[in-house]
Amino acid sequence: MNIRLSLIFPLGVLLATGFAERAVQPAARAATPQVVSAANAFLATLSDAERAKVAFDFNSPQKTNGWSNLPSGIFQRNGLRLGDLTTPQREAAMATLGAALSKAGYQKVIEIMEGDEVLKNRGGGRTGGRPGAPGGGGQGAPARGGRGGGIVFGRDEYFIAFVGAPSATTPWMLQFGGHHLAINVTVVGSDNVMTPSLPAAQPARYVLNGQTVRPLGNENDKGFALINALDENQKKQAVLNYQVRDLVLGPGNDGKVIQPEGMLASAMNAKQQQMLLDIAHEWVGILNDAGANAKMAEIKANLPKTYFAWSGSTTNGELAYYRIQGPTVVIEYAPQQGDLDHIHTIYRDPTNDYGASLVKK
Amino acid sequence: MTTARVLSKNSFSLLAPGGSLLILVLLPGTTSAHRLDEYLQATRVDIARDRVNIDVDLTPGVSIARQVAAWIDVNANGEISPAESLAYATQVLESVSVSVDGSAVPLYLVAAEAPPIADMSLGVGTMRVRASANISSTRSGRHSVSIINTHHPETSVYLANALVPTDKVIQIREQRRSEDQHSLTIEYAIGLPIWPRVAWLLTAVTLLVGMWWMRHRLDRLENAETPAV
Repeated sequence: MNIRLSLIFPLGVLLATGFAERAVQPAARAATPQVVSAANAFLATLSDAERAKVAFDFNSPQKTNGWSNLPSGIFQRNGLRLGDLTTPQREAAMATLGAALSKAGYQKVIEIMEGDEVLKNRGGGRTGGRPGAPGGGGQGAPARGGRGGGIVFGRDEYFIAFVGAPSATTPWMLQFGGHHLAINVTVVGSDNVMTPSLPAAQPARYVLNGQTVRPLGNENDKGFALINALDENQKKQAVLNYQVRDLVLGPGNDGKVIQPEGMLASAMNAKQQQMLLDIAHEWVGILNDAGANAKMAEIKANLPKTYFAWSGSTTNGELAYYRIQGPTVVIEYAPQQGDLDHIHTIYRDPTNDYGASLVKK
Repeated sequence: MTTARVLSKNSFSLLAPGGSLLILVLLPGTTSAHRLDEYLQATRVDIARDRVNIDVDLTPGVSIARQVAAWIDVNANGEISPAESLAYATQVLESVSVSVDGSAVPLYLVAAEAPPIADMSLGVGTMRVRASANISSTRSGRHSVSIINTHHPETSVYLANALVPTDKVIQIREQRRSEDQHSLTIEYAIGLPIWPRVAWLLTAVTLLVGMWWMRHRLDRLENAETPAV
């Protein structure tokens, strides 16, 4: 009996370890019908020509090539531009996004878009795009997507597209994005996934209606809180001894898995682990609650194999890059070119970007 | 890098001595960043048992794009020809040194992809260079690969990362970099695959259990055959 147990136990551990990477996910049952309903309501507001413009085949290149952090004038997005929609159409488009995202996630998206409006009114930022920069005119190069040439910012410059037809049973994707924003929500039956997605911000801090807005303020502050919650020995493991000046797995890096570095979450205490999960939730929680809960359960199950890596200052308000990398998640936070007011981030699942593992089933 | 990576009508390939060399001229590509005065050089290293594959993505920022374009578009006709792309990729590789287990190994060009100069002028055009080096020793144990990139360090920002090897026998043990990431040393190990080891272990355990069981049975038989005193 003892021998049998001693054989079965390690085998059980082996099997359990293998299955931990794709933990049983609580189904996102509540979200899909609402998202599909909102998407169809939006489609109902469109003309035939507009419907043709917003729709793409699920297996078209639009799925992987249709998103970017770049502004109009540099990157040509497909689908329907918010600025070209009537008020009811625009409201229906945003309602579709609202159905796919959580309340907090939707608010984050709005703050990123409003930040781009601020950027437009400021005439561009210290780093990144400048309106009127060569995009069509003087350099002899045709603008790609520029409306009249040059780079265009603002809340009108966001696009919505459906990759595949909205459905509660067959796979499709809601794609919403513009400068510093790419939201890719793949719906496969009751499952909703939001990888890859790119929430970014420039300016990272602005004042709107008398209120200071920091679209990625939690991502910044929670990162600094965790690195400073580590003891010196833990910091030695987490802090990389080299500079990281950009995203490693930004747009165009689908399918690449880099060797993880930094500190394993298994070496953190329970409070620190919870702080790490809270940081991850800033990205995961953009998605509707049911989808986000399923993803968080998966990340939590894989926490012992998840790394936290930090590069740069550990003083909040100074430049730092960080990365969370586990078997089914990669999150990067990267200020651009030494500019604290210009932040890029990426959220990926190396096993399930675009819902790939769900679509295969 | 998210715009359509569709091969243009200008795409073609040619063969080079010692292997195939693919030169691609791409339709617009974009980068993850929108840089101004930095030359981003992102290197990814994929280690296999018999070779190391190196991808270098080079993206000049808006402010230095004209200068970088001049390095590549040597006839200044506003287009990067396949020959110019090849020549520049060769220049890049001349600035990249690779050593395996401490010995320098030659790097050969596998592919070069040049963006349109218009994209480069916007700070979003990425030149992609793919190269490989052969590894002669594939014995199990510890090994190292070192890469040093000295291509235009005056304006460059570097990223350098090992990819998780697709061959599960290879395990990355450590990555060491210079502070600016222009050099990267990867320590790795080649070991037996896990399943043969597990299978060997299970076989050994089964044999031991079998021997114990047979011994136990024999003891019981002997005891049963011994008449009670």
